[in-house]
Amino acid sequence: MRPLGWFWTVVLVLPPLLALLVLPSFGQRMVTLVGIYALMGVGYQLVFGQLGALNLAQGALFGLGAYALALLAPAAGLLALPLAAIVAAATAALVCGPLLRLQSHYFALATLALAALVNLVAVHVADLTGGANGLAGFTAALPTGAALLSLVWACLIVAVVLYARLFRGSLGHQARLLREAPLAAATLGIDGGRWRFAAFVAGAALAGLAGGFSATLSGVVSPDVTSFPIMILCLTSVVLGGSRHPMGAVLGAVIAVCLPEMLRDLQGLWLLAYAAATLVVVRWAPEGLAGLIDRWRGATAAATPLPMLPDSLALSGGPRELVLESVSKSFGGVAALSDVSFTVDRGEVVGLIGPNGSGKTTLLNVIGGLESADGGTIRLDGQRIDGLSPHRIARAGIGRTFQTVPLADETRRGDIVRAITSGAPFLLLDEPAAGASDRERRDIARLVDQVSAAGRGVLIVDHDIDLLTRVCDRLVCLDRGRVIAAGRPAEVRADPRVRATFLGLDEAAA
Amino acid sequence: MAYALIALGFVLALNAAGAVNFAHGDLVVLGGAVAVLAGLWTGLPGPLLLPIVALVLGATGILAARIAIQPLAARPPEATFVATIALAAIIEQGLTVGLGAAPLTAPPFAGSGTIDIGGLALGRQPLAILAVGAVLVAAVWFLLERTQLGRRMRAVSSDRYMARAVGIPVGRYVMLSLALAGALAGVAGFLLGHQFLVAPTQGAGHMLKAYIAVAIGGWGSVPGALLGALGIGLFETFVSAAVGDAWASAALYVAVLAVLVLRPQGLFGEPVGRRA
Repeated sequence: MRPLGWFWTVVLVLPPLLALLVLPSFGQRMVTLVGIYALMGVGYQLVFGQLGALNLAQGALFGLGAYALALLAPAAGLLALPLAAIVAAATAALVCGPLLRLQSHYFALATLALAALVNLVAVHVADLTGGANGLAGFTAALPTGAALLSLVWACLIVAVVLYARLFRGSLGHQARLLREAPLAAATLGIDGGRWRFAAFVAGAALAGLAGGFSATLSGVVSPDVTSFPIMILCLTSVVLGGSRHPMGAVLGAVIAVCLPEMLRDLQGLWLLAYAAATLVVVRWAPEGLAGLIDRWRGATAAATPLPMLPDSLALSGGPRELVLESVSKSFGGVAALSDVSFTVDRGEVVGLIGPNGSGKTTLLNVIGGLESADGGTIRLDGQRIDGLSPHRIARAGIGRTFQTVPLADETRRGDIVRAITSGAPFLLLDEPAAGASDRERRDIARLVDQVSAAGRGVLIVDHDIDLLTRVCDRLVCLDRGRVIAAGRPAEVRADPRVRATFLGLDEAAA
Repeated sequence: MAYALIALGFVLALNAAGAVNFAHGDLVVLGGAVAVLAGLWTGLPGPLLLPIVALVLGATGILAARIAIQPLAARPPEATFVATIALAAIIEQGLTVGLGAAPLTAPPFAGSGTIDIGGLALGRQPLAILAVGAVLVAAVWFLLERTQLGRRMRAVSSDRYMARAVGIPVGRYVMLSLALAGALAGVAGFLLGHQFLVAPTQGAGHMLKAYIAVAIGGWGSVPGALLGALGIGLFETFVSAAVGDAWASAALYVAVLAVLVLRPQGLFGEPVGRRA
């Protein structure tokens, strides 16, 4: 399948062609404006749509691009356009390092404060920006009319096609994991920080370029281009059009430009209608207009391909053993893990058992880096992995699954298969059989056998002692954070302390 | 002190809804506008206008909850962000269309002019703001800490599933919180509207300050929000006296960015761990 499909390709290419062939210059100007807003919108989709981060600085970056063009065009001519994109991207790169670590509501506030700062500078640093009057008379060397329209739409078409191509396959799946299940993403070795950085900077570059084009089109730049209404326009149009659909930004921009023209006599009412429409879309059609059209056409979005189990699970390289030495971890004053030591070899299946609250999941979290150990070491061969970030540990060779399936519409098997296909030599499975039917249990047991036969190591937590006895080479029993027994399944099951604490037989429980 | 009322309403709505209400600033402006209209139509003195404004805005708060917050409770917070941003735009544009963009003056609360206390000439309006603000903050504190109703509201904000499990009708309490938030916003708008006028575009500024107050004071902490708001008020007063309004705002934003980067849990800590 082509990334965009013929229908949307036509919709994308038609406006500029029609505008060039039949529309008067006023119509051409409007189509150019659509292209400009759409360009900013595509950039915004990267951060807001794909990563779900409410960035409220996109409008300010757009304004930054406009000012950069106005200041640079007299000297640099046409080169000022790419420079506008670079200025916005560089600004974003400079500030976003610390900002991207923030959680959603703080991120929104930080970007809002940033935008307010840019606006203040535009208004009050009059020497540079012309203050409230703005700048004018810089367009001598820049394209106008049909040439500008062609340039804007060429950039937009490239951006949309690239976007559609990029997010169609595994990258789209990665973005979804990051958005909806950041922990699972990290345990697959996806570096969320780098991803967000790339999306934010690329989005900023598009905003800057759009800002540059906008200044070229209007011939003047005033503090208004950095103001909050531009941001609202960008946000609402992307939401209206479809925040992740490749054509969402374009459709949104068409509405944002055409609606006020159509409702021109009604003055401010169009903004009212626009905001109301956004509210309606958020509530009843979160996939946006483009998604609605797709549904109406009967073209459901290509489902992200489920990870398929590869024919051969064999691995050659990678570390040979996972070693835990005296690992301990406490929450507040409670020791969740104390002095836990054992080893998992490649090709071996080790089961972790123990009563609720004995520290099994905490141990998996500590190995996977979701929690940091207070003491002890965890090594893959000679390499220490305790203290590394989750995605680095995943890349070093540890994959895992979760007690609850991280993505809404996914099966538990899908979660396990994803961990297997990540290629990690060691797998941590957290209660894969919880709530599973007998058939699913057999399926899981077969998967685990396959994985260990292919020479991978498995550490599996479950309450189904029969399942574990069947698939495991060794069992480790935890009680209140300590290893109370370890060895072959039969031995561990026969251990009196294990029987007392875990199997509920009370001969030793006095 | 009016900032404190805005921030107080903001944090109540935030805790109840679990997401930022971007329309909160516009509720403040709406409160001012209601005060203007009610004053024109009825000619009542300030203290009698106050309950009218509070009632109307309380109802608006419920409406906002119905439209933009409750239906999205199960979705990621970004959905509520966008919905309330849209709501804010609707209120702002509605006011612009209905009343025009020119600033209006809200009626004074307790007459204008000054009174002489111990040789200091103090404006009546600022004193009224201080007094009403203090009374309302105390009342909200009493409600939250000393009544069964308030305990339930706090239960809903700290864990809505647990609250539901013990039999609290969560939806009703979310709405109650938002009604209270709206009423507080309205009163703040009324009180500010005499001195600083009422204009549709002010909403974003009010919202931003409440947001900042809450972020600095510790996300979701009620006393933190009050301290944050007072801090912002003092900061603005002193810094703008020294370097002018524009640079005071700039300094405020820089300070906020610095706080977020260096101490993301707020100056006074986050009461509830909200790690993903």
